Amino acid sequence: MKILLIEDEQELSLSILQYLNGNGVLCEAVNNVLEALEKITMYQYDCILLDLSLPDGDGFEILKALKTQGKEEGVIIISAKSSLDTRIEGFNLGADDFLVKPFHLSELLVRIQALIRRKQFSGNTNLIFNEIEINLLSKSITINQSKVDLTKTELDLLLFLIGNKNKVLSKGAIAEHLSGDMADMLENHDFVYAHIKNLKRKLKQSGSEDYIKTIYGLGYKFQE
Amino acid sequence: MRKKLLHKTQQIYIIYSIITFLIISPIFYFTTEKLYLDDTDETLMLNKERFEKQILPGFKIKDISTWNTYNPENLILDKIPIKKDSIFSTIDFSELEQEDEPYRMLFSPIKIEGQPYLYTEKINLVEAEDLLFSIAILFITLIILLMIGVFIITNRISKKIWKPFYELIHQIEEFEIDKDPKPHFKTTTIEEFNRLNEAVEKLMRKNIKIYNNQREFIDNAAHELQTPLAIFRSKIDLLIQRDDLTHGQAAIVVTINENIDRLIKLNKNLLILSKIDRNIELEVEKFSLKLLLEKQIEFFSGQANTKQIQIKNRISDDVIVNANKNLTEILFSNLLLNAMKYNVKNGTVIIELDNGKVSVSNTSDQTKIPKDKLFNRFSKSNQNQQGNGLGLAIVKKIVDQNNWEITYNYSKNRHFFTVTF
Repeated sequence: MKILLIEDEQELSLSILQYLNGNGVLCEAVNNVLEALEKITMYQYDCILLDLSLPDGDGFEILKALKTQGKEEGVIIISAKSSLDTRIEGFNLGADDFLVKPFHLSELLVRIQALIRRKQFSGNTNLIFNEIEINLLSKSITINQSKVDLTKTELDLLLFLIGNKNKVLSKGAIAEHLSGDMADMLENHDFVYAHIKNLKRKLKQSGSEDYIKTIYGLGYKFQE
Repeated sequence: MRKKLLHKTQQIYIIYSIITFLIISPIFYFTTEKLYLDDTDETLMLNKERFEKQILPGFKIKDISTWNTYNPENLILDKIPIKKDSIFSTIDFSELEQEDEPYRMLFSPIKIEGQPYLYTEKINLVEAEDLLFSIAILFITLIILLMIGVFIITNRISKKIWKPFYELIHQIEEFEIDKDPKPHFKTTTIEEFNRLNEAVEKLMRKNIKIYNNQREFIDNAAHELQTPLAIFRSKIDLLIQRDDLTHGQAAIVVTINENIDRLIKLNKNLLILSKIDRNIELEVEKFSLKLLLEKQIEFFSGQANTKQIQIKNRISDDVIVNANKNLTEILFSNLLLNAMKYNVKNGTVIIELDNGKVSVSNTSDQTKIPKDKLFNRFSKSNQNQQGNGLGLAIVKKIVDQNNWEITYNYSKNRHFFTVTF
């Protein structure tokens, strides 16, 4: 996977690069509109992460350029601007997703994966991890060819964990991912524990290996 | 006691009129009476002089009885003579009217054929009384007419003169700093009111400006905080990936992480408040409150289970509201969040929707919350709570913005928040 990150905050850019590079994502970063335009004209990317306020212009210019050049890259806007108008304008100009800062890096990663899946493997809707096979279209999961009955939240949790495999995920990041729009209304993150426990139990019962590790105090990790 | 300005002036006028009337009336009465008596006395004296000059020189003692027969008001008596003329008031029986009547009498010593006699003369004062009475009625009528006139004129004039003033009061009463439109004052022909209008307008403009600056400041601050918070969060996400974290370090990171979450939530709430303040992005739509609440209950039930709190759905009705859906969601999720946050183990949260009212109530180990600061920003009734103190401020803002109403009640160990649409 090749990704272009257009972000002018050096430190945030570094964090994203560091996190994504560890999970099989090849990420290039630029910090202004000019360089970004150069890159998108010359290269083909699987996904573009786009900040809207850049030192030499507006992120929307890049969306417009992509449109005029007939490029098909998926674009995720990462912005501190969260107003409805900004979102609508972004989507109208061809953005595929919108992630409001501050976000968890784990959330960014699964959004990228989801976008790339939608864009590129439109025929192939199966996600396979060793003995675990998830059909993303029918939202069904089989382990060693036998069907496992997971709730919507548990499936969502499993996808989030697999997407961020080998990464430690804080309870907060998981809770926010599972709550979506309502993430700000979480009173505490304790419910994550219950979901993890149920998921672990169901996977184990179906004969899957125990991939979900508890990292003391910090959170959970999906690890081979 | 508070009175209207107009009534106050009118009251003063009326009191003044009555006092004047009370003082003037006796003075007027006695003066008129005195004038009349003086006039009567002069007439008596004149008559006497005429008698002395024209009649007395040829008057004989034998003429007295004839005289007395034809002049009953002007008798000549041989009573004990007095030395000087004297005039006095008396009551006498009037043959004509067959009743006692007031008279003015003159006694004067005269000499007829060298013998002392008493010349008497009396004038009936009934006419004077009638006159006085008529004058008094005229006087009272005049005063009353004057008072009515003053009353009506002051009423009319005051209303007209004070009209700009009342308009100003109305504008000030209607004025809300965070709402358009800005007040507009008409220019008047009265200098003081123009000055007042200008002063108030200046004050309002200044306040609106300060308020807007403040609002912008909060908005900017909240927006500017997002980037460092994003960096902060990303660095923590990276930090927890490290294999070489000790347990002690991990514990510190967890605390930092929790507080970063709090900070981010606080900042988001500030952004929401600022968004409502700026009145932007508030498209309204019609939607079912029942569906909205059921969605919220479903979301919070998951959290409630882990806290061993029961959420009871008592929605018996439906209300279709016309409002901003997103903000309405925020309103009820904040109420539900509070109901969960300050709840006790094995407690309950009850959501009722009935009669166009939604009430969210919860059990708690806290007693009644003082109402005065309940909806203020950053006011917390209990310092060790995890809340950021903005939840209810947001609730209030949203309620106000939609012209709804929210009330807080405490009864039977339950805290009730009721929103009326």
